[in-house]
Amino acid sequence: MSTRPPLNAEERDLLAAELAMGLLDGDERAEAESLAGRDHDFRAAVARWTAHLAPMLDEVDPVDPPAAAWSAIESRIAPTASNIRPSDPAPSNVVQLRRKMNLWRGYSVATTAIAASLALILVARPGPPPAPTVTPTLVAMMQSDAGPARLVATYDPASRRLIVAAAAGMAPAAGHAHELWLIPAAGGKPHPMGIVSAVAPNKMDVPMPMAGDVREGATFAISVEPPSGSPTGVPTGPVIARGKLTRA
Amino acid sequence: MTLRMDALRGSEEVRRLAAALASVAAGDREAMALLYRRTSAKLYGICLRVLGNEAEAEEVLQETYVTVWRKASAYDAGRASPVTWLAVMARNKAIDRLRGRRAPTEDIDAALDIADDAPLAPELIDRARDGHRLADCLAELEEKSAAAIRAAFLDGLSYPDLAAREAVPLPTMKSWIRRGLIRLRGCLER
Repeated sequence: MSTRPPLNAEERDLLAAELAMGLLDGDERAEAESLAGRDHDFRAAVARWTAHLAPMLDEVDPVDPPAAAWSAIESRIAPTASNIRPSDPAPSNVVQLRRKMNLWRGYSVATTAIAASLALILVARPGPPPAPTVTPTLVAMMQSDAGPARLVATYDPASRRLIVAAAAGMAPAAGHAHELWLIPAAGGKPHPMGIVSAVAPNKMDVPMPMAGDVREGATFAISVEPPSGSPTGVPTGPVIARGKLTRA
Repeated sequence: MTLRMDALRGSEEVRRLAAALASVAAGDREAMALLYRRTSAKLYGICLRVLGNEAEAEEVLQETYVTVWRKASAYDAGRASPVTWLAVMARNKAIDRLRGRRAPTEDIDAALDIADDAPLAPELIDRARDGHRLADCLAELEEKSAAAIRAAFLDGLSYPDLAAREAVPLPTMKSWIRRGLIRLRGCLER
């Protein structure tokens, strides 16, 4: 095997397909996996083939697993000394955030689900314990004029971690992206904060100089932009939602 | 419950499952239970098909969900629907088991969780996700190539397994599959 001449592009792509399909065994498989481990393009080819072939799994009929399977999984993911999360003493701001989140329930079921998951994210992150009482979590409910909340941004100044989650139905139209902007409390030019996905909560670490502007009274806004974001550094499309940062 | 990936694509269910995965990444056990309720029959079906053995299929199912619990944050909604991500993970783990390896090396990382600087073109994913398109393209292949590709992907057969099953020499089987893959790629990416 090791004396084989280098693979040409076609052979490499076929090897990627064979690895994705699980056709290889023994040394061949070990070699292909080692290539995937060190070669970025090859790894991308394996992913591409996997995506190509995955729809075949549609054909497989579901079969109810034995009831014992879930109990076994549950016990394997049970809290241990090393991963206790929700039972850690909850910082008071998280409790407040949860209460606030309850108030949001009127907006929509989808938004509430996001809010709940945000609360869990906040509870779950280990974070530096003493900080929260000094630096309260900030929340911005971004909405269109007088409409229901469409995106929720939660910012923890202690860790400079920003989480943005979108309500259902917030996917951008084809060929467009939603970009997040920060407008400082004192006003001025919006800072681009990145493209936000409509599906998964977006987590970002706000870099230090900008973090100073992410505080009570600042505004987050979402504009419609080309797929790779605003080409000019300022919003170029319509602003579809905005909201001020307030204490949670 | 029947989870058809194509029926779910872009639907409310995809969002619910993606939201559940996000909560699971944050350590939410209730979200984990919901995810399990809604996807385990599909994943167990896949494990059972590859392994052909209930006890092993159940073990691999457990391993899959324990991995989901630990690695849910690696899920990227831009790359695959939640069910596709889970289904591929279950299939890869079942194949690892079949090939006799209990501790797979980064199977998910290699297959789906590719480096952030190599995003797949969204249109490519959208097309690749299209099950009808894949079925149409498979139908264009020579029958023996298509059958071998399907058996490899769905039943977890390796090259030697397939060669033995069809009673052809190993190089012949390799050329059937490789010829089929080249045509399949041409069809899917055109």
